[in-house]
Amino acid sequence: MENDDLPEERAAVRRMAILSLQAVTKEYASEGQCVRALDGVSLEVSAGEFVALVGRSGCGKSTLLHVAGAMDFPSTGLVLIGDKNTSALNDAQQTELRREKVGFVFQSFQLLHTLTVQENVELPLLLAGNPAAREAALERLHWVDLDGLGARYPHQLSGGQMQRVAIARALAHSPRILLADEPTGNLDSTTGAAILDLLVRLTRERKTATIMATHSPEAAAVCDTLVRMRDGRIEEITRR
Amino acid sequence: MPRLKLFYRLIVRPLFREPIRLALMVLAVALGVAVVLAIDLAGNAAAGSFHSSMESLAGGNDLEVVAPGGAPESVVATLAEQPHPLRITPRMEDFAVDTRTQETLSLIGLDLIAEGSRYVSESGVAAEDSRNRQTIEESIQELEDPKSIWVSPSLGVKPGDHLKLLINDAVQDCIVRGVLPQSSANESVILMDIAAAQRALNRHGRVDRILIKLPENANIEEWRKKLSELLPAGVEVRPQGAGTQENRKMLAAFRWNLRLLSYIALVVGAFLIYNTISVSVVRRRPEIGIVRAIGAGRNEVLAAFLGEAVCLGLAGALIGVPLGRIMASGAVKLMAATVDSLYVSSRPGAIGLSWSSVALALAVGVGVAVASALSPAREAMQVSLTDAMAQGRREYIAQTHKGRDLIVAAILGALGAFAARMPAFAGKPMFGYLATILLIAAAAYAMPALVNFVSQLAAQALGKLLGVEALLASRSLAASLRRTSVLVAALATAVAMMVSVGIMVGSFRQTVVAWMNDQLPADLYLRPAGDPAADRHPTISVELPGKIAALPGVAAVNRLRAYEISYNGMPATLASVDLRVLRAYRNSNFFSGRPAAQVLGQLRGQNNVIVSEPFSYKHHVKAGDTIALSLGEYRASFRIVDVYCDYASERGYILMDRDVLLKYLPDPAPTNLAVFVAPSTDVDQVRKEIQEVAAGHRILIFSDRDLRKEAVRIFDRTFAITYALEAVAVVVAVMGIAGALIALVIDRRRELGLLRFLGAATGQIRKMILVEAGLLGLLANLAGFALGYFLSLILVFVINKQSFGWTIRFHWPFAVLLGALTVVYLATVISGLYPARVAARLNPLEVIHEQ
Repeated sequence: MENDDLPEERAAVRRMAILSLQAVTKEYASEGQCVRALDGVSLEVSAGEFVALVGRSGCGKSTLLHVAGAMDFPSTGLVLIGDKNTSALNDAQQTELRREKVGFVFQSFQLLHTLTVQENVELPLLLAGNPAAREAALERLHWVDLDGLGARYPHQLSGGQMQRVAIARALAHSPRILLADEPTGNLDSTTGAAILDLLVRLTRERKTATIMATHSPEAAAVCDTLVRMRDGRIEEITRR
Repeated sequence: MPRLKLFYRLIVRPLFREPIRLALMVLAVALGVAVVLAIDLAGNAAAGSFHSSMESLAGGNDLEVVAPGGAPESVVATLAEQPHPLRITPRMEDFAVDTRTQETLSLIGLDLIAEGSRYVSESGVAAEDSRNRQTIEESIQELEDPKSIWVSPSLGVKPGDHLKLLINDAVQDCIVRGVLPQSSANESVILMDIAAAQRALNRHGRVDRILIKLPENANIEEWRKKLSELLPAGVEVRPQGAGTQENRKMLAAFRWNLRLLSYIALVVGAFLIYNTISVSVVRRRPEIGIVRAIGAGRNEVLAAFLGEAVCLGLAGALIGVPLGRIMASGAVKLMAATVDSLYVSSRPGAIGLSWSSVALALAVGVGVAVASALSPAREAMQVSLTDAMAQGRREYIAQTHKGRDLIVAAILGALGAFAARMPAFAGKPMFGYLATILLIAAAAYAMPALVNFVSQLAAQALGKLLGVEALLASRSLAASLRRTSVLVAALATAVAMMVSVGIMVGSFRQTVVAWMNDQLPADLYLRPAGDPAADRHPTISVELPGKIAALPGVAAVNRLRAYEISYNGMPATLASVDLRVLRAYRNSNFFSGRPAAQVLGQLRGQNNVIVSEPFSYKHHVKAGDTIALSLGEYRASFRIVDVYCDYASERGYILMDRDVLLKYLPDPAPTNLAVFVAPSTDVDQVRKEIQEVAAGHRILIFSDRDLRKEAVRIFDRTFAITYALEAVAVVVAVMGIAGALIALVIDRRRELGLLRFLGAATGQIRKMILVEAGLLGLLANLAGFALGYFLSLILVFVINKQSFGWTIRFHWPFAVLLGALTVVYLATVISGLYPARVAARLNPLEVIHEQ
């Protein structure tokens, strides 16, 4: 198991930070009021590192994921993906960056019910104009142990299988960063544990930097780095 | 009140959250209602409340005496000699053209010396003033002066003014002696003394109509019989205004067909309301579950969704009423021109927007909305609490019912085919209309299977051709099968009507053009100046044909004379031609298939006639039958020797030898001349020579090419309103597509947001929605074209034939159809621009967060 890697090896990997948030604040207007969702957040995540974000609802976990995934701009501060400052990119360049470097996993799976499992996994590659989408999709399905289910539609799968498909899709373009927002939130504890194992394994094998927002203590327990958030700030970072 | 508050919160308020979509839907209903109202109002003004212009100054009588070609004056004497207190009013009735405006006016001749006090003394201040200045002798001199006329105020002239009038082929300088009182019928009338009118019209010794006022409380039918016995066989006594009634009857089919056509936009609107309420039900399934769980009954759910439809229908109707009134102003001109050129001279009345019209429009708008919403509202009512939260079940139902719907479609199609083979009912193609409705319904039922089949088929191909956006678009359409099917059905219905009417009109046009090539063998055609109309037959001076025939370059001149007659209670045209000329040149064949020479030879000098196809169809007569015709004071029998194609007028023609007609109606003046130029002679030169010979006569000369061009112009004008109605239906459908795409974007915002997370660029999102719009347009065009073809067969061979009696040869107007379908397709794609913009601007964070 990759998650049994020696601490020295993980420490070496950690040094290669591929995501860096530096004094990031995020403010937005809500009903005429200015709300600060992130307040001076700084965080570095390296390849192969599994980070868990924990904290109460509304503490800024999802916002952090969004700015980390170049889905949103920070109001101040810097978000660097590799050596790219996301704030300096236009919409097309941001899209390009996401296509290359970022994969998302959601609590409610967010699969397209009009597409088969394989087509769902192919989707990011097709959107990026990758001609070898089919082969890549089959490989990703193999990674998540869903060989042979590619022709099924999402509604023909269990919750755990749907989340595996979502993970396979998030990894379709071999992203450097995997962002997961409550990936076990809609699953029972056994299935949730299996999904966590899968995420940890893939993080190690694929050397991705994985950030997972979660409320689950089990999920928090398997991570390399535990980030506690409160009112938009990082309260504590525990590295293991 | 609490329920109204709930209705407002749960139904009305959410409508305003999508203002553009709401506006599009309301406008779609408004256009549908407006078109129906406009055609109703315009039809009523131009044809429905048809009031013959010859009824001017004829009110208050009980009976009228008429005879084709005019009744001899002796009839007036016979009636006057009766020892009964009858008021007898002989009249001349024709038309004159005001040379200042080229407006055609009714020309009425009355015995002003005997009757003058009834008209002239009531002729308003101007006439009053002028009379006060004169002595009785001067007044009588004025009445007897053949130049004296009295005119309607609408002509804008005053006593003492001179007015040049074109009567038949001559311009006469007339002096206005007085202005008639303003009439309510918006008529323009020229009144002159009967003797002057006879002289001006060159109809000495005959009167066109004799009005009879019976004693108080007399039995009209008894008197009609009693007076009929006193008069010659060919002279008919009938209730006054019978001619108007006949014309109204004749116009009924025209109005009926136009009215039905106006309902297309409303049918399209009905599909869209059905779709809107269906979408509303699908979106609110969780809400339905919640309100049911906290105490709402099924009926309240039903009422809520029907209430939503009422709101849409009412809002649409309220906008549709003023819009319809505006549209009616344009429609009435087109309809009046058609009525004039194809049926009868008339002047459209004022457009009256009565409370009943408004009520009708509101009832139509709300009624159609409620009827369309009934099915989805009933489904909402039946939603179980456990199902309420289940996503996607609705689409699943549409998927699983495809097979059943296809069977229903096949049954409806078969019933439609059966109905199309049934004969007319009560003189109307009721089964033809039924067949049309059945086919549209069959197409609507077949639509889910078609959409599913085509979008599945297209998905891979389009994916390869246009990229992943096209794949997503086609899958999305197939997934929202029910919604997509209704949208495609709406647009397909509009396209189908466009295609079918396009084919019908194109076929008709081609048939008419081919017919004209056969019917117009002469080189030049002459008729008196003034606007042509189906029932106006001004004559050419008797001596003119002889002078033209004597020109060296002229080989022959054919004289045609036409009279308006009434046959079996319907207006028809009786015409005569010089058969010697016709035999030599006419090259068309007859329904029997016999050569023209053989058929026309049977007419020569004998009481034989040929009749036009509409006449044969309307009166159920065929070759070999005998018909009795009133001609002047005579009544004679004629044998029909054949039926011929004729597309000049729907009134129906009876054609006989000129010599035979002259035996009964001895007026030799022709109404039209056909001039055959001698071989190797320059037609333009002959034309110039004719112009010289005809100097002093107001004659129009047309070459065969001019005549064809003019006929095609009139033809196109006739169908202009049809095209306008189709265009409105297509606009309604395209607006519906735009509204529905906005709804689709809003409902799929999660998916669109997700795609942004997965790396889709805004351009790709935009492209996806545009491909969806394009696919909807493509599907609708395909389905509409197929449906339109079948509908065109019904229009050409059933509805047209049973309404008007014309045989039309089927013809594909390829260029027109291709152009129209391309325009519809482009319009559909363009309708996707705004929804695509909305989709591209969605904030993915917000929409994902909503979940």
